[in-house]
Amino acid sequence: MLEKGHVKEIIKSPYLLLVPALLFYLIFWFVPVATSLYESFTTISGKVGLNNFILVLQDSLFLDAFVNTLIFALLSLLLQFALALGIAVLVNQNFKGSKLFLFVILIPMALPPSAIGILWNTGLVESGWINSFLATSGIQNVLEALGILKGPTLWKAVSGLEAVMTLIIIDTWTVMPSVMIIILAGLQNFNEEYKEAAQIFGATKWQAFRDVVIPIIKPSIVTALLLRLISGLQVWLIGVMLFGFNNVPFLVERIVYYTDKVRTATNSYKMANAYSIFTLGHVFTVAFLFLRVTKDKKEGAK
Amino acid sequence: MSYLKLENVKKVYNNKVTAVDNFNLEIEKGEFIAFLGPSGCGKTTTLRMIAGLESVTHGDITLEGKSIVGLTPRERGISMIFQSYAVWPHMTVYENVAYALKLRKLKKADIDEVVQDVAKTTDIVQYLNRYPSQLSGGQRQRVAVARAIAVKPKLFLMDEPLSNLDAKLRVSMRTDLKRIHQNVKSTSIFVTHDQSEALSLADRIVVMNHGVIEQIGTANEIYHESETMFIAKFIGSPASNFFVVNVILEDGEVYLVHDDFKVQFNGQEKDVLIKNYLDKSVVLSIRPENFTVNKGGFIKAKAKIIEPQGSHIIINTDIGGEEIKIVSDLLELESGENILLGFNDKVLLFDSETEKRIK
Ligand SMILES: Nc1ncnc2c1ncn2[C@@H]1O[C@H](COP(=O)(O)OP(=O)(O)OP(=O)(O)O)[C@@H](O)[C@H]1O
Ligand SMILES: [Mg+2]
Repeated sequence: MLEKGHVKEIIKSPYLLLVPALLFYLIFWFVPVATSLYESFTTISGKVGLNNFILVLQDSLFLDAFVNTLIFALLSLLLQFALALGIAVLVNQNFKGSKLFLFVILIPMALPPSAIGILWNTGLVESGWINSFLATSGIQNVLEALGILKGPTLWKAVSGLEAVMTLIIIDTWTVMPSVMIIILAGLQNFNEEYKEAAQIFGATKWQAFRDVVIPIIKPSIVTALLLRLISGLQVWLIGVMLFGFNNVPFLVERIVYYTDKVRTATNSYKMANAYSIFTLGHVFTVAFLFLRVTKDKKEGAK
Repeated sequence: MSYLKLENVKKVYNNKVTAVDNFNLEIEKGEFIAFLGPSGCGKTTTLRMIAGLESVTHGDITLEGKSIVGLTPRERGISMIFQSYAVWPHMTVYENVAYALKLRKLKKADIDEVVQDVAKTTDIVQYLNRYPSQLSGGQRQRVAVARAIAVKPKLFLMDEPLSNLDAKLRVSMRTDLKRIHQNVKSTSIFVTHDQSEALSLADRIVVMNHGVIEQIGTANEIYHESETMFIAKFIGSPASNFFVVNVILEDGEVYLVHDDFKVQFNGQEKDVLIKNYLDKSVVLSIRPENFTVNKGGFIKAKAKIIEPQGSHIIINTDIGGEEIKIVSDLLELESGENILLGFNDKVLLFDSETEKRIK
């Protein structure tokens, strides 16, 4: 009898330990999501239906926002992955001065998003630091002489895809270090003997990297990229800070826009909620697809 | 001409640490060589230089008459078992063994044949579809062996391949390794700091200390004709016993004089002693089993501690303040008893300055 009681206690205790976390999620996650769900599927008069979603689809900027978000998320993911992997491998060589190099690379991580917005805003304006750097370093003259440029570049006058590209570059500058640091951690945990074994058994350096290093550190890479992908899909602040609302629409930018900027319009609050739910589904889908694509053959076999 | 030759090989890390120095070794085809020495003596470093994983600071390594120091690891045709096994965790056992063959662009059917063949030799056929994480340490070790012999290497390097196994498995894997070596007739170098492994496996043993070779020889040579005091101390368990004795000449006979005994010496080293060591002290080294106990000896002692080993006992005693260990078959001897010790003529003498053998 006594034993049975013991067993019960042991089984119960882990769930008990989960209670605080569960409460936290219930209050700060489940409640807002449920509210949002409710709001998005009801009209102001309380009628249940897809009304709000139809309004969203009719939003003239919806398609742009959707496409921009996807382009931004995927391109920045690719660019950041390539750069982060390269730099992580480089830093991991432990060359002279690699510690300092790492430090410099990591600086953007320390800046809050609004500071980054301001930093690049002051850079991209006509008399900003980018143009003055080009002018004082003489690059501007060279480019003008070559006929590539005519007078100072108006960086902020771009729109559409060019604006998205500008944002991708700024985003990469900002968050690539965080991707790099996770991959670097993976590399530093990596047992060099795996690579050496590959080289002994006939692999070139590149083959050893491709066939052994990458697959073994893949969990770190997938984690880093998944985090990046999700936050890439939620981009808005930097876009708004540089180009304002409505000019380079993103899905989350739409949510903020309808919540904050046009609060007074009858349906805007409902639309913001519908956008939220749509974005939620979108992020889930993309993240799911990403995990599907990167899934281990090993797990699949089990 | 020797198969593998290391000439004056030297390795300095970061311009500071000399890990290996003045390393000269010649190995014949098909030989099984063990590198034996205490931790940090440069065994792994030497192995890695042969494999091409570490650059050679000075000297030359030739394989089949050709220098290999400038070649990448893959160009050397050598295979290696790492101390951590380094069996790739993301590949099945089959893929692990097949990887090197794939890189050599063998046909699928040929690869399969080789894999099945070495899997049989190493007894891992039933694990071919498993991942390394689903195997025990001993099974993983066999995968590492299978992977290494699949490529039919010119040279087979093993870095303490048995050190992660439990005592029992270690002994049985040791026999397996020897059997595999006899089957595939590969030239092998085996690194270990376990002397019984080296003694039982190797044709010849290279004893290293502080980055230099102390002696190269068969198990018998190393044990009975140790070239240095280090080896007499390092090999054998219990190790050799040492007595500092004075060499004197009386009536044309050589005597070794110790505080507790004086004994006439008639060994082959007699002439050298007369020539170079008269009235000087030398070190007399006696293996524990070369003592005689209670059979007409000349050293009085007391058996302080008896360690029964089943087939024999180890007597701990004290002669001239030195802890002495003696192997004896007097199973009924009790601790505290007085004993009379002698020794047979299988003793070694060492120069007390150079610690090298006098011969
Ligand atoms: N990468 C390195 N950089 C600097 N010193 C090193 C390096 N690798 C080894 N050493 C030094 O070289 C010496 C020999 O090391 P090595 O690994 O060859 O010893 P070992 O005989 O294999 O020892 P163990 O039995 O503990 O494996 C040691 O003093 C070690 O500290
Ligand atoms: Mg070692």
